[in-house]
Amino acid sequence: MASTAQSTSSTLPKGVAPLRAGVGNSFLWRRLHSLTGIVPVGLFLLEHFLSNAEALNGVGAYNAQVKFLTGLPFRLGMEIFGIFIPLAFHALYGVYIWWRGENNVIDYPWAGNWFYTVQRYSGILVFAYVTYHIWYMRFAGVHLVDHYDASFWKVQHELSHQLALGIYVVGVIAASWHFGYGLFLFAAKWGIVTGKKAQKRAQAAGIALSILLMLMGLATVYAFVTAEPQKKNPVWDQHSESAPEQSRLIPQSTPSSQAR
Amino acid sequence: MANKSVLFKIKRQASPSTEPFWEEFEVEYRPGLNVISLFMEVAVNPVTRAGKPTTPINYDSNCLEEVCGSCAMLINGKARMGCSALVDNLEQPITIEPFSKFPVIRDLQVDRSVLFENLKAVKAWVPIDGTYALGDGPRILPQVQEQAYQLSQCMSCCCCMEACPQFNESTGFVGAATIAQARLFNMHPTGKVLKQERLAALMGDGGIQECGYAQNCVEACPKDIPLTRSISDVGGDVMKKAILDFFRT
Amino acid sequence: MATTTSRIIIVGGGLAGLSAAIKVAESGAHVDLFSLVPVKRSHSVCAQGGINAAKNLKGEGDSTWSHFDDTVYGGDFLANQAPVKAMCEMGPGIIDLLDRMGVPFNRTPEGLLDFRRFGGTLFNRTAFAGATTGQQLLYALDEQVRRFEAEGKVKKYEYWEFLSAVLDSQNVCRGICAMDLRTMEVLTFPADAVIMATGGVGAIFGKSTNSVVCTGSAQGSLYQQGAAYGNGEMIQVHPTCIPGEDKLRLMSESARGEGGRVWVPKNPSETRPGKQVPEGDRWYFLEDWYPKYGNLVPRDIATRAIHKVVHEHGLGIQGQPMVYLDLSHIDRATLDRKLGGILEIYEKFVGDDPRDVPMKIFPGMHYTMGGLWVDSDQMTNIQGLYAVGECDYSIHGANRLGANSLLSCIYAGFTAGPNAVKYAKSAPAAPDTIAASFEAERKRQLDANTRLVNNQGTENPFRLWRELGDVMSRNVTVTRYNDKLQETDVKLVELLERYRNVNLSDKSMWSNQSFLFARQLQNMLQLARVITQGAFLRNESRGSHYKPDFPERDDANFLKTTKAFFAPDADEPRFEWEPVDISLVTPRPRRYDSK
Repeated sequence: MASTAQSTSSTLPKGVAPLRAGVGNSFLWRRLHSLTGIVPVGLFLLEHFLSNAEALNGVGAYNAQVKFLTGLPFRLGMEIFGIFIPLAFHALYGVYIWWRGENNVIDYPWAGNWFYTVQRYSGILVFAYVTYHIWYMRFAGVHLVDHYDASFWKVQHELSHQLALGIYVVGVIAASWHFGYGLFLFAAKWGIVTGKKAQKRAQAAGIALSILLMLMGLATVYAFVTAEPQKKNPVWDQHSESAPEQSRLIPQSTPSSQAR
Repeated sequence: MANKSVLFKIKRQASPSTEPFWEEFEVEYRPGLNVISLFMEVAVNPVTRAGKPTTPINYDSNCLEEVCGSCAMLINGKARMGCSALVDNLEQPITIEPFSKFPVIRDLQVDRSVLFENLKAVKAWVPIDGTYALGDGPRILPQVQEQAYQLSQCMSCCCCMEACPQFNESTGFVGAATIAQARLFNMHPTGKVLKQERLAALMGDGGIQECGYAQNCVEACPKDIPLTRSISDVGGDVMKKAILDFFRT
Repeated sequence: MATTTSRIIIVGGGLAGLSAAIKVAESGAHVDLFSLVPVKRSHSVCAQGGINAAKNLKGEGDSTWSHFDDTVYGGDFLANQAPVKAMCEMGPGIIDLLDRMGVPFNRTPEGLLDFRRFGGTLFNRTAFAGATTGQQLLYALDEQVRRFEAEGKVKKYEYWEFLSAVLDSQNVCRGICAMDLRTMEVLTFPADAVIMATGGVGAIFGKSTNSVVCTGSAQGSLYQQGAAYGNGEMIQVHPTCIPGEDKLRLMSESARGEGGRVWVPKNPSETRPGKQVPEGDRWYFLEDWYPKYGNLVPRDIATRAIHKVVHEHGLGIQGQPMVYLDLSHIDRATLDRKLGGILEIYEKFVGDDPRDVPMKIFPGMHYTMGGLWVDSDQMTNIQGLYAVGECDYSIHGANRLGANSLLSCIYAGFTAGPNAVKYAKSAPAAPDTIAASFEAERKRQLDANTRLVNNQGTENPFRLWRELGDVMSRNVTVTRYNDKLQETDVKLVELLERYRNVNLSDKSMWSNQSFLFARQLQNMLQLARVITQGAFLRNESRGSHYKPDFPERDDANFLKTTKAFFAPDADEPRFEWEPVDISLVTPRPRRYDSK
């Protein structure tokens, strides 16, 4: 492609390709990735942190919140189209982005570059954590749609394992950072906040939000860990004959969840 | 001060297809030395620190005043201009390498023609009707001129691209310099006529969307060009265009 | 490509070369543009202060005639007047065009072009874009050429070295011979006309304000092929340079234009730093000697005044060859706005902030007024070969005014471009032997390469260059004495002799810069003799050429253009003198102390 020194161009290695003006769909996908991180994934994250913080108000409040959420109309549709698909897209495309970036924070240890690097690795961490989290909380073990009143117990039981507790703490911190700083990145890349000072403020706000979410998340974890240990109700292992009406909206529990 | 010397090592490469190797040099210290004057010393006395005869170092340079953009290289790991890298401010031994993301021609010379291709792709010019007499240019307020001037000082050194984690062979990212130039010409009363074409070009593969906002570009830029500001501004413009295209075409 | 399309080769991608390229491409002819460096990195980027044109936007009654008069007067009447007048008349149109191309010229609050005052005039006539006007102008033209390139009308050969012109049996220029700086391949390229735009010869003086590529090698090569070299002895020394290890960096005349004051401590043994020397202990010698122009006297006057103060009065700062250029009395905001870029250069390369402390400066080689001889069409004495910009001798006479160089580059390019296209259409048909001429020229250059690379001598070309620079800077710049000039020529002959013993430490044939430099050195040495002998023969003082033994201008004997021709058998220059066109303004004494 090099227009200069034609006679030598064939003997030179290629290097980074020039801009492919008007070619490809990467703009759409990349911007969609950015958008899904805010809406709906980011919004859901906020809701999720808030809902979980009900744990601070005690077992009853927490279980009631789960009941409210599991009882929402069109829950399954919202779950699939509002959470799972956008989340999966954001996560998988994010891995692709992470894979293509060439982290150089050792040579250029500047704040923005650190944040860039952390954004990528926190994304990977969150992806791993969320996969694990969804599996255990949504699909494995006691089914909370059938047994909302098992919610507090289930989380507490989970966090009673040292390793799981560690994973949750890391997951909460990574997710909080990824979202808070991601909000700033969204504002900067989409041209919402453009000026130097304004970006400084927006960055500070994004980081502040991250920290707020971290505190909220960790306080929630703390609430579970320090609450009086709940006892498991044997009923929770049974299947959904006695379950509330709306639980029929979801598919039958998998055999594996029964086994547990 | 007597017998003080400057120690530096250079990553050299005889041709694009041969393996790089390091050579160490030592020259007598004088106040006011810059990296380029070290190379000039080696040219006069091409001998390594170990006393082995070698060849003068091949490097691109021209103005030595940091306006032509030629002598960009990695100095102690960072992308910067050799002419404005004063020995007094550098930790020794100074390590000097060619840019890592551009094909090496020889020693410190690399092929940076990709930037000029990118400038073509975004039509970084004001499309005048002709050079014949057409009267005065457009009136431009001093504030607008000051903004344009900042951007117009880009000397195509490619430091912003070298330092960018997103500028690499898998993304084919266009880099900050080109985006800032697109903004410069979109800002001009006449240059604006190609604005939509420029934005469309920047929405192609390797376009502005590949920016990861690590902000290394603005830190590395020797001319303090507001590069991240430009990426954000143009980022807003391409979004507006994308949305309008979606609803209005 | 249609066979009827004319092909014009342009060598050099600075302001002059790109101006020519734009005109040629616009006219429909094809351009092959050769440059040592990507054209955007040409030496024109170094011009800081501005570009002159009598737009008269300051209500001062400026006119193109005044501009013309200032220019020929500033050049001490050595320039042929018709081209100067044409340039000054083209000036306002050029500014408008550049403005339309998007050059970010500084503006007045009303959005109009702002103008500042430069040396050698009483008018605010200099349009400027921050402190990097040359860079901004070059970029505007570069962008236009890129547009033509994208349209296929211009083909760039960047990283190519011009080696020589290809002349046919009738001595008509038919193309060039050039070398790819990467593959080191030597090729010939046919053209209907060739335009040289290869800039100044700073490297002949070792350290100068010029860029690395400004060696004068192309001019030296053409001179040896029979091109006449005009007024070689006219070398401008810029009064305000920042001494550096690798080069001399310019401190733009705009620093004086915006109110910079030149001074030295009255006490030769003054030890206080500049900032702490009280007003009463400073000697503002330019303001003292030249009350009307003050610090804004033309460059040659300022240079000699600084030399006088340092060498005759012994008042250099702490005994060193340096004087103060002081801006620290002006408020920071104004300085940042008007001079930000050039002050950053000082800050960056010296480490002191000139907003706080006075700068230390000294004169250094800056501009080549002389160059390839051209007629009013910009054609050299070789038919089909044109020269434009700093590499041609016209316009500036014995001294160039600040901010006239950018204008002269564009003027020359805009003149030569269309003239070359016109010439191409009516050029005489090539003789039958033309193919042989191309082959012979290529062989001559290949042989030179082979000779150089196989040479088994003892001389390092870079050491020879240092010696060349030292002797030229010492004897052939500000003050010239005939005995020293003769001494210099003897030294040059010695260097040429030793050049035959050059041994390259790098004999590879891939992107070998020292090989290239060694090639250029031979041409530089030949041209150095033209400069030195031209200075020796001109027994008068005129413009930048100053001989204390002949302190007056001598119009009776020397109101003449020096034309140097290479005499191959003698291997040295042969001189002719040509009368100067003074049809428009009668020469008058050039004095800036009163007027």
